[in-house]
Amino acid sequence: MPSDPIVLGFDTSAAHCAAALLSGTGIVAARHEEMGRGQAERLMTLLEETLSEAGVAWSNLDAIGVGTGPGNFTGIRISVSAARGLALGLGIPAVGVDLFDAAAWGAPGPALICHTAPRGTAYLRSCGMVRDIGPVQMAIDTIPADWAEAGLSCIGSAGAEVAAHLGVSHVPVAHAPAVAVARIAATRWQVPQPRPAPLYLRPADAAPPRDAPPVILDDA
Amino acid sequence: MASVTHILGIESSCDDTAAAVLRIHDGRASVLSSVVEGQSGLHAAFGGVVPEIAARAHAEKIDLCVEEALAQADLPLSQIDAIAVTAGPGLIGGVLSGVMCAKGLAAATGKPLIGVNHLAGHALTPRLTDGLAYPYLMLLVSGGHCQLLIVQSHDRFTRLGGTIDDAPGEAFDKTARLLGLPQPGGPSVEAEAKAGDPKRFTFPRPLMDRPGCDMSFSGLKTAVLRARDQIVAEKAGLTTQDRADLCAGFQAAVTDVLRGKTARALEQYLAVNPEAPAIAVAGGVAANRSIRAGLETIASDYGVAFTAPPLRLCTDNAAMIAYAGWERWQAAQVDDMTLAARPRWPLDNRAPALVGSGKKGAKS
Repeated sequence: MPSDPIVLGFDTSAAHCAAALLSGTGIVAARHEEMGRGQAERLMTLLEETLSEAGVAWSNLDAIGVGTGPGNFTGIRISVSAARGLALGLGIPAVGVDLFDAAAWGAPGPALICHTAPRGTAYLRSCGMVRDIGPVQMAIDTIPADWAEAGLSCIGSAGAEVAAHLGVSHVPVAHAPAVAVARIAATRWQVPQPRPAPLYLRPADAAPPRDAPPVILDDA
Repeated sequence: MASVTHILGIESSCDDTAAAVLRIHDGRASVLSSVVEGQSGLHAAFGGVVPEIAARAHAEKIDLCVEEALAQADLPLSQIDAIAVTAGPGLIGGVLSGVMCAKGLAAATGKPLIGVNHLAGHALTPRLTDGLAYPYLMLLVSGGHCQLLIVQSHDRFTRLGGTIDDAPGEAFDKTARLLGLPQPGGPSVEAEAKAGDPKRFTFPRPLMDRPGCDMSFSGLKTAVLRARDQIVAEKAGLTTQDRADLCAGFQAAVTDVLRGKTARALEQYLAVNPEAPAIAVAGGVAANRSIRAGLETIASDYGVAFTAPPLRLCTDNAAMIAYAGWERWQAAQVDDMTLAARPRWPLDNRAPALVGSGKKGAKS
């Protein structure tokens, strides 16, 4: 009989460095460190500590799960790049799990997933709602009041604020991000997956040069 | 160490995602594969490299480049003995993707991780291609860098001078933009300059009146802008001849500055009495024929051998990172999983910081 699949999930999409190791259906080790910066220097040792706490070696892993955001662009890329390197090195799949799915994991009923985004905005996506919303980034005070529906709860780091705006309830996330990432990856890894890619929801800030090039007279 | 060693190199510090496999057999290095995925199409509309766009592309390409480099080298990852990666200086988002992918590969395979200075990669390339002996003089001229260095060993560099503002490649790009020529500006300005009269416009030779080897190129770009605006004010546009003359005048000024400052550097270099005096150039700007010819002339004037690696190893690539990583590995300089990505990382810590070097992107 094959042994329980072992999945390592991790996430650095916000001000944290987090990992969780799933063996079968149980989380056997987990780490979550609040961290404003320095995730790139910390992540790999944190993963190694998580594995060694459970007595698991890299070569024992069946799959990698990685949080793909939305969130801090640099933070997401740190984990996604590490996950791609690990997957290539270990010859196992890396599964990208977005943080809407992660926050919705174990949600009780219709939910609006709300993650904190810069400048008074939130990343939003519906989960089991009548209305299909997002994923989208929008200012919290512009969220239409008619998105509120019976039994709706708001979940995520911006959940309390959006819930107050809509006059609905706020429900805390059921699982820490890395735990949810590992659990969701465990349901997907046996089916071929695209390589993990960051979920940005916003194009790169870049504007074409303002100065028009000079008129070339001979071409006219 | 076995007599055959394979090093994987990874580079992502600007707008090229690159991976390479280097084979070292009895101390001799050969490039088994060198994959470079450029991004110029992604940045073309913006007239320069946009850091966030570059970072996004690197994060989704770096592992694919590694796979391609292994495939072209016809080697499985298990045959790789060490993993070398650019850890700076450069655009931090891209450097981070390379470093994290390399850490993932190193953790997974248990192979040593070696963080490499991107500038050291360029500076050591003449050893990979021509087996140059230390110490040699290096002129590094690219889109992001411009320095004159005496290369004493794989980790000992004396910086004689460098640009205090724009790199020459940047000046070429900006000039191209001012004149409505396509990016990257180096090749398009050079092509245009062929039909131009370099004497029609007299552009400044910044800092040539000052001692030392420091250079400045941002004023040159402004001078081109002024000359352009004056013509546009007169005839409401530029003729192709005007444009060619502006390009030729600009290129002549850059060539003169590089030649003049390199001559000064050669004098300082020769004062250390190298056994086999040699100067090497690296960086994309070294591909410019007028500049290269000017440098060759200076080298022969001083009786110093001139080396320019082939263009594919002169511009950003990962083979040079693998090579520099191998030299570090030989000296037992390996890194652990806390290896940091560094936006700035001067090769010569003793030299004073170049003025203005803190203001822009990929500077050292």
